[in-house]
Amino acid sequence: MATDPAVRTVTLTIDGRAVTVPPGTTVYQAARAAGIEIPIFCYHDRMPPLGACRMCLVKVDRMGKLQTSCTLPAADGMVVSTTDPEVVAGQEAILEFLLINHPLDCPICDKGGECPLQDQTFRWGPGRSRFVEAKRDFAKPVSLGPVLTLDRERCILCWRCVRFGEIIAGDDALKGFERGFTSEINTPFTLPVESKFIGNTIAICPVGALTSRTYRFRARPWDNEPVPSTCTHCGLGCAVWFDVRGGEIVRTRAREAPAVNDIWLCDLGFFGHDYVASGERLTAPLVRRDGRLTQASWEEALDLVASRLRAARDRAPGRVAFLGGRRLSNEDALVAARLFGEVIGTPHRDHRVDAPPGGASLEVAWGLRAPLEEIARGDVFLLVGCDVTEEYPILWLRMKAAVDRGAALLLLHARRLEVRRHARWERLVRADRLAAETGALADALERGAAGPPPGLEAAVAAIAAGRRVHVVVGRFALDGPGGSAVLAAAVRIAEHSGGVLHVARGKGNDIGAQRFGLLPGAGGWPAPEILRRAAAGDLDVLYVAGSDPATAVTDRSAWDAARRGVGFLVVHEAFLSATAEAADVVLPSLVLPEKDGTVTNLEGRTLPLRAAVRGPGAARGDREIFSLIAARLGALFTYGTGDELFEALRAATPGVEAGAILPVAPVPARLAGDVPAGAVAAGAGGGSAELILATIDHLFTQGATTGRCRGITALAGAPHCLIHPDDAARLGVEPGALVELATGHGAVVLQARVTDVTAPGQVLLPRGFDAVSAYALVRWPHAVVAVTVRPLVAAAAGGAP
Amino acid sequence: MTTFAMPESIVLRWAQTPGMTELEPYRRAGGYEAARRVAAGELAPEAVIEALVASGLRGKGGAGFPTGQKWKFIPRQAPVTYVVVNGDEGEPCTFKDRTLLEGAPHLLIEGVLIAALTVGARKAYVYLRREFYRARRTLEAALEQARAAGLVGRGVFGSARDVEIVVHSGAGAYIAGEETALLESLEGRRALPRLRPPFPAQAGLYQRPTLLNNVETLCHVPVILTLGPERYKDYGPPALFSVSGHVVRPGVYEAPLGVKLRSLIFDYAGGLRPGRRFKAAFPGGSSSMPLVADHLDVPMDYDSLRVLGSMLGSAAVIVIDDSADMVEIIARTVEFYREESCGKCTPCREGTIWATQVLERILHGRGRPEDLALLEGIARGMTGTCFCPLGESVPPSLVASLRHFRDEYERYIAGATRGH
Repeated sequence: MATDPAVRTVTLTIDGRAVTVPPGTTVYQAARAAGIEIPIFCYHDRMPPLGACRMCLVKVDRMGKLQTSCTLPAADGMVVSTTDPEVVAGQEAILEFLLINHPLDCPICDKGGECPLQDQTFRWGPGRSRFVEAKRDFAKPVSLGPVLTLDRERCILCWRCVRFGEIIAGDDALKGFERGFTSEINTPFTLPVESKFIGNTIAICPVGALTSRTYRFRARPWDNEPVPSTCTHCGLGCAVWFDVRGGEIVRTRAREAPAVNDIWLCDLGFFGHDYVASGERLTAPLVRRDGRLTQASWEEALDLVASRLRAARDRAPGRVAFLGGRRLSNEDALVAARLFGEVIGTPHRDHRVDAPPGGASLEVAWGLRAPLEEIARGDVFLLVGCDVTEEYPILWLRMKAAVDRGAALLLLHARRLEVRRHARWERLVRADRLAAETGALADALERGAAGPPPGLEAAVAAIAAGRRVHVVVGRFALDGPGGSAVLAAAVRIAEHSGGVLHVARGKGNDIGAQRFGLLPGAGGWPAPEILRRAAAGDLDVLYVAGSDPATAVTDRSAWDAARRGVGFLVVHEAFLSATAEAADVVLPSLVLPEKDGTVTNLEGRTLPLRAAVRGPGAARGDREIFSLIAARLGALFTYGTGDELFEALRAATPGVEAGAILPVAPVPARLAGDVPAGAVAAGAGGGSAELILATIDHLFTQGATTGRCRGITALAGAPHCLIHPDDAARLGVEPGALVELATGHGAVVLQARVTDVTAPGQVLLPRGFDAVSAYALVRWPHAVVAVTVRPLVAAAAGGAP
Repeated sequence: MTTFAMPESIVLRWAQTPGMTELEPYRRAGGYEAARRVAAGELAPEAVIEALVASGLRGKGGAGFPTGQKWKFIPRQAPVTYVVVNGDEGEPCTFKDRTLLEGAPHLLIEGVLIAALTVGARKAYVYLRREFYRARRTLEAALEQARAAGLVGRGVFGSARDVEIVVHSGAGAYIAGEETALLESLEGRRALPRLRPPFPAQAGLYQRPTLLNNVETLCHVPVILTLGPERYKDYGPPALFSVSGHVVRPGVYEAPLGVKLRSLIFDYAGGLRPGRRFKAAFPGGSSSMPLVADHLDVPMDYDSLRVLGSMLGSAAVIVIDDSADMVEIIARTVEFYREESCGKCTPCREGTIWATQVLERILHGRGRPEDLALLEGIARGMTGTCFCPLGESVPPSLVASLRHFRDEYERYIAGATRGH
């Protein structure tokens, strides 16, 4: 390998071998690079050395004491031994110390078989213990929340989990308490543990102290078959291992992917697989007979669908429309696009089922405009209406690393983000003020020396000084009031700062659907228009796959009207979702962890899917279903193997390569017109919008899939809304009380959380709780509505019948 | 007993002279003159450091690092520099800093001022041991007087220099006396020692260059500048010894460095109680290896004690006569370290609990012959493997007791009961 003479190197000797490394390398890293194994517990190569466990001792010539190799910088001429009798004695001593208070419950410990302490005790341990005293005794196990269990007796106090929260996630989820031999890990003052990343602490725990409540006692590691695949929840496409035992995914682990998730995963990824094995999966086609969905054979169901599609096509191809794509693979999307575009000939296809009309989500291609690795090198992050940890948790880890190196985090949102403690500037505004505030920021930047308005100074200064600015516009901003104005202002900010504008929009495989043909063709209607036309009776067949419009369309009444207005509704579904319940034919389909193929992440990167398990009953893959229908319509799709399909993807879209990024379409420099910023519909109150309602994203929800994942459901908690303390006091709402939220369109009952996370005058309602739909309260074209909040306890006391 | 004339003290006398807690008496006695000269530029920083180097002053907290050298390490161009005073004085049987704080707070304040002006710090923190309630009151009152007189705060001594001094009380952990753990505690976190490098001189409090000195060390500074390093050295140079245990007059004594252990016990502290024989002494706090009768004529200085495997430490001499049970003393000492171990590193956390358990078992008559080798093994496993000096303090005493007083252990193991 060619070496730059300007780059100095350091050569040291380890166990008699010359090892050359860059300056700053530790002795431990140098040894590992040379293939020499030194045992470690506290050291983790994604975090700076700590030197606490003392396991990595080595002997260094001319140094009196043994040295911890993880903290010792390699120096020229250093002579190191990892096998000297003194080192062996030291390591044996440390292992003996670690084991005196560690229970030997390996046979029932989840970690057994993949436990660094177990492995290193075999390799470096003293063989027998001289310890005859009573071991340290703790109550066990302790629940730290819905997904995390702590066994303090097993804990060897390596501090990895604590430091993960401090250094990697920035959430300080776990901390050390007490001192000396009574030291213990715990949550800082609150239960359950508050984190989006706690699964990683289980992964890096070198013993069985932190274990997963959903995986506990379910398998031994050697019984699991690990299948490499890609997580398809948030859309960042983290690499995962699905650990399969007995035909069921029992555990999800992070798979190392330096360009995407490195070695981390969020808790939705870790605990979001239970739904696959749910007993509520659909196993046979359903056909509506006499108003009721009843089981049918595939032949019967497919024939019926094909005949209705044929009839509609013969009348006019435009009387068929397709909705969905988020939960399809790239290959599914391609085949769907061919079926509806080529065979049926309808341009009305759209995966953007959750985009409201008039919002900016329909104006711009979704996706990040720079690789995650480039974002990690950014020096300014402006998040506009993007709640990064609730929407794209792994993206936050990249930003956190940059923030620790001095990057400025600037937050503009209608809610306070949990990452705000890392922010240099934060602006909390009511949802209907977001467009104006973003515009004011763009104006101030462009005015330059004129001096920014009060409150914007820090943001303007940071952006002006930034050299690698990333402006991230999220769903809340795009779909909120004045979404187009927010986007236009964000474009100006990005242009002015020479930065990159990211459209943080899309979940699952939305970007793949966008890329492979599930967007309106020439003259085609976007999703809200498809619904409007369906309601107006302009459609004969509405075909839905990879989506649940009944819960995803942000105006429930728009979906209901569409359903009523369309003659025939076909749905591919894994569960009897709200959409499926209303369908004429339901075709049981596989979910993404059951599929081979590829997906496209938010960067535009093509990532592999590998079927971890077989689907239940007679469920079939979406592309197979599309092909069977195409065949009935006289078109033969002959994709013999997955490879042939991938070749078809590459042919359809040049630049698609496994693992590589094909950028999504650029954001247009000048954007279309805008609805007036700040438009708020009059609500039930009828008068001025004293209190407005806006919907926000949560990572943990209770939807069709997340609601069937034990850990996620529990993490999500009860359906709730967020109300500011001032408003709560004025309205007599006690924290945790049940309230009724009413708009002119509907009412829901849920728990009120009183918190200054929301701005005064604004109630925030998390979406994704199917039991309490935020969208029942909203009526297009308005993204936020006036709302009245009524404490139910007070109502009861008032003697209401 | 022969007549012994205690030498004149030059540091301790400030704390022993009545009225020195007040500003005016302190100034009338020549106090704050050295600080004024530094503030006025009459004494340049280089000259201050030169004087410290020439005086041979070494840190009085325990490590004994040359003070002038330490001041030299502080980068001069840093935008922000801090001075931090270690007043955690947690080493068992050490009470010289408390004596100075309670008797001569202005001497410390003057030392802090000189340090801050010399290294270019605008802010100094005095980190006091939690239990120093009276010392804190006295120091705060003295600071108030000095602030009112324009000696602390904005424009000290009428100069353009600002030095603010903040007093902060710890939360009651011995480990906070370790300088990097002290910084962690001062920043609001658990007192756990930090990895070094970087040293506090490079990246200390809030990652800024930080000069960290012990209370007594800083109290020597005005004395050195007033007398000049040569005259200062004529006094030994002087050191404050906290003498406690089985002596007739326990207390703080100023004696020349290198004073014989025998002289400290028998001349300064009035000797042992009648009819008692000397058994052992910790020369530098409970962290130092105890000495026995053979060592009574060892000079109490850094190098002589290091050669013996012990150390001067905080110069706290704990005298033990023949009435004491050495196994109990060692068990109690190890228990102290078990209690105060911060829990960060394995050998200290686990070694102290294990050794305590074994010692307790022996004391309760359940010792086994192999326990002595086991104790030596635990000590060996802790030696040179701990993260910070706390854990490393345990093995020397344990091993020394097993060497010099093995018969006492063996008596327990042979079936003797407690209090034989």
